[in-house]
Amino acid sequence: MATNPMHQFEVYRIGPEINLGEINLSFTNASLFMTISSILILLFLFLGTKKKSLVPTKIQFITEASYTFVAKMINDTAGSSAKSFFPFIFTLFMFVLFANMVGMLPYSFTVTSHIIVTFVLAAMVFIGVTILGFIKHGFKYLEIFVPKGVPIILLPLIVIIEIISYLSRPVSLSVRLFANMMAGHTMLKVFGGFVISLGLLGGWLPLGFSVALTGLEILVAFLQAYVFAILTCIYLNDALNLHH
Amino acid sequence: MKKIKEIATRLEIAKKNIKNMRNNNQGSNAASLGKALKISTELVAAVVVGSIIGFLLDDWFDTKPLLTICFFVIGVAAGILNVFRSAKKMQNKYKN
Repeated sequence: MATNPMHQFEVYRIGPEINLGEINLSFTNASLFMTISSILILLFLFLGTKKKSLVPTKIQFITEASYTFVAKMINDTAGSSAKSFFPFIFTLFMFVLFANMVGMLPYSFTVTSHIIVTFVLAAMVFIGVTILGFIKHGFKYLEIFVPKGVPIILLPLIVIIEIISYLSRPVSLSVRLFANMMAGHTMLKVFGGFVISLGLLGGWLPLGFSVALTGLEILVAFLQAYVFAILTCIYLNDALNLHH
Repeated sequence: MKKIKEIATRLEIAKKNIKNMRNNNQGSNAASLGKALKISTELVAAVVVGSIIGFLLDDWFDTKPLLTICFFVIGVAAGILNVFRSAKKMQNKYKN
């Protein structure tokens, strides 16, 4: 069982079974690791902002750096009018980042390697941005489906293409994060399995690969959180400033 | 008075440095890798969404498999449009 590379993605129930009507609300290992990531974020930010010294300590520096990083990202991609969405994007970025990073620890569970988790996050962004666009521009928001300078004959086809392109946003956003995390963790496990099966003689090569892959996975974990946040900013920009 | 002038020049230099740093940052490796990962899924997602819409409409109008094929092709077009747009956005960023 331990050599099965997909075994690590199994979701199982911890504690008693809770049913709310038809819905199963039991506490699973996925919920446990989501809670752990959230608590870690709160702890990290709390410790980082507790002592506000002018010359920052290490943890204060990291906290401030993460703040500036997200603030700059919003300012560069969505403009200053998106400043009020900083809390949302910062929360999203930190949650994805910490969920990915907690998943890198041995014996832990990667929450973001499940499509349902990433899809809910992406759907939240998608629905929120669409509602925001309608609030901000009214029915003029539908203009994003009609590009300028298109001949009338082609218009019906172009509008359908644009609508599909718009609907594909949450899919690409969620599949990207999920696929990257799952592929990476499966690969790590497969190489780990090679180390065991090749034994003391030939196991060193896959072990080296495993170490290198772990480094790569940490990079990917950060990068995917960054991409998730920056794409949210880009979608926000499309909704706030109506032009192509 | 002299001190204020000194601070002003220092501020000027610091601002220039920040500007330079910003220009250099855009070409950083991590950001480029992120963009590369971004584009690849965009193409696939649109095709999947198009096919699903076609399939659902087929179920609805009872015209299997006509609409699935049509919407698959439209989905491919939408995917290429997505990739084209992201690539264009990147190009504009580098020009500025």
